[in-house]
Amino acid sequence: MMPEETKNTNSRRFAKEILKGLVIANPVFVLVLGLCPTLAVTVSIDNALGMSAGVIFVLLGSNLIISMIRKITPQLARIPVYIVVIATFVTILSLVFEAYLPPLHESLGIYLPLIVVNCIILGRAEAFASKNTILLSIADAIGIGVGFALSMIIVSFFREILGTGKLTVFGKTLFSIPVLSSDPLAFFIMPPGAFLVLGLLLALFRWLGVLNNE
Amino acid sequence: MNSGASLITIFVGMVIINNMVLTKFLGLCPFFGVSKKLSNAISMGVAVTFVMLLAAIATSVIYSFILVPYNIEFMNIIIYILVIASLVQIVELIIRRTNIALYNALGIYLPLITTNCAVLGITLINASNNYSIVQSMVSAVGGGLGFTLVLIIMSGIREKLELGDTPKSLRGLPVAFITASLLALSFMGFSGLL
Amino acid sequence: MNENRQIHDKKIKKSSSCSEKIFGNRFYPLIFLTIIVFVSVSLVMVVNNMTRVKILAEKDAAIISQLKAIFTDTDDYEPKKDYYIAYRDKQVIGFAFVAKGKGYGGEINIFVGLNTDFTIEQIKILSNTETPGLGTKITEDSFTGQFKGLSFKDVSLSKDGGKIDAITGATISSKAVTDAVRKELEEKIEVIKSDMK
Repeated sequence: MMPEETKNTNSRRFAKEILKGLVIANPVFVLVLGLCPTLAVTVSIDNALGMSAGVIFVLLGSNLIISMIRKITPQLARIPVYIVVIATFVTILSLVFEAYLPPLHESLGIYLPLIVVNCIILGRAEAFASKNTILLSIADAIGIGVGFALSMIIVSFFREILGTGKLTVFGKTLFSIPVLSSDPLAFFIMPPGAFLVLGLLLALFRWLGVLNNE
Repeated sequence: MNSGASLITIFVGMVIINNMVLTKFLGLCPFFGVSKKLSNAISMGVAVTFVMLLAAIATSVIYSFILVPYNIEFMNIIIYILVIASLVQIVELIIRRTNIALYNALGIYLPLITTNCAVLGITLINASNNYSIVQSMVSAVGGGLGFTLVLIIMSGIREKLELGDTPKSLRGLPVAFITASLLALSFMGFSGLL
Repeated sequence: MNENRQIHDKKIKKSSSCSEKIFGNRFYPLIFLTIIVFVSVSLVMVVNNMTRVKILAEKDAAIISQLKAIFTDTDDYEPKKDYYIAYRDKQVIGFAFVAKGKGYGGEINIFVGLNTDFTIEQIKILSNTETPGLGTKITEDSFTGQFKGLSFKDVSLSKDGGKIDAITGATISSKAVTDAVRKELEEKIEVIKSDMK
């Protein structure tokens, strides 16, 4: 009876941690973390997907390792240890992308190595993985990672459609809007457009949240 | 192979045309977090510029005398972040020992600088442009000043914005982003300057 | 957070004197960090060994495809110090090199292909940070096509007496490309000529 119950609550907590990252603690729209990639690489859905896959990989890896070594990590050296663990996964990711997806590696540019200083990853290491079990840390990584991916996709969706007039995923044009694609609003794929889209989306989600609360 | 860009071009380019915050989105966390008060913005800017300069010197020396000769450029991410983390620690220690007033002013920002993407960003930008050590130093100072400049402008605007009657859902960060968008748009007017 | 860890540390201290020796050691943080760095460096080395061949092959394939975009029937190339020689059936069919221009928004990289008589076969814009919709028109064939067959003295904008028409609304970008190609062409022709002797 007992083990059955623990297993049940365990799996429920696992699911809860995943859902948490998607909505209540969405890293971009609620916690407003990891802004640099959210603004920089969201010019196209392809880039956003590549970046999200990278962040999920690094987040999973670092959360896993850090929760594994949490009992033997000395308090004094913990931040450098976390940074080295994260940097290792980022380097591996960068090498793999360079070997198997060179165009993506090229278009992500310096933002790929910059995953190291993405506040989301170090933040999860410090706030969650360093004091929770391996299983829960994995759930946390999946939730936060997918939540991040979701935000990246939303932002890049608006920027790509408005900025180029069409939507292209993995080289296939899904649809193109007649007038917009010949005269696109290039503003939206330029840096100021990134700030504007994210600002308006933040306001929109806050407005929806306000509606829900009342 | 060195990129032939002149020092003036690099400097002006980094300060206004390819501004780190507004076109490269680097250092956004302090940009939105610290930029609420003018005095904080200046302290933060100075601290970041200083660490960026040190990091640029250290990493470009490491890049050209260790990574390239031994063919281990792929190790750059791990090495750069360790160098930056140790630099921040050393700077913190030195300031605490020598100038307690400065430490009190900058102290809380120093640990944050390790994870400031502007610092790692400038070292990666320098490496990807094949800048020499002198070019890297100029680009780091330019980048730091550009960061400080935008931080100061933004804090000035946000101090005023706090007094305005902003719609509830726009208050705080959303309106700060929209302000940043307008700021970035006006900075685009500088492109073509060189 | 701190409290938890202190409680945790105390538990370890109580549980065994052996672990107390390890975890209580003044140098333990440093030793632990060193071990982590060592493990991570070895791991990265391993991954690098696994991917290195593939990365080099991809870079090689990228150069081939860039050359193929200019010399459609090339089948081999030879990298020189700062240019490439394109071959077909072991015969030299042309040369290619990268020119860097200072555009409106930053650096423009241009891949230039030369015929054996030193006229331009074709140019391709490799990368640019120009204004989308205006300056980025330099990548279109209507602009780059104008360079075909020109020798270096004709490579300047028509208002400067050359044969290239600038893009309306993107004069700076057009001029940047044209000037970069001309300057690099002049240098490279000398280099190639002296290498061929």
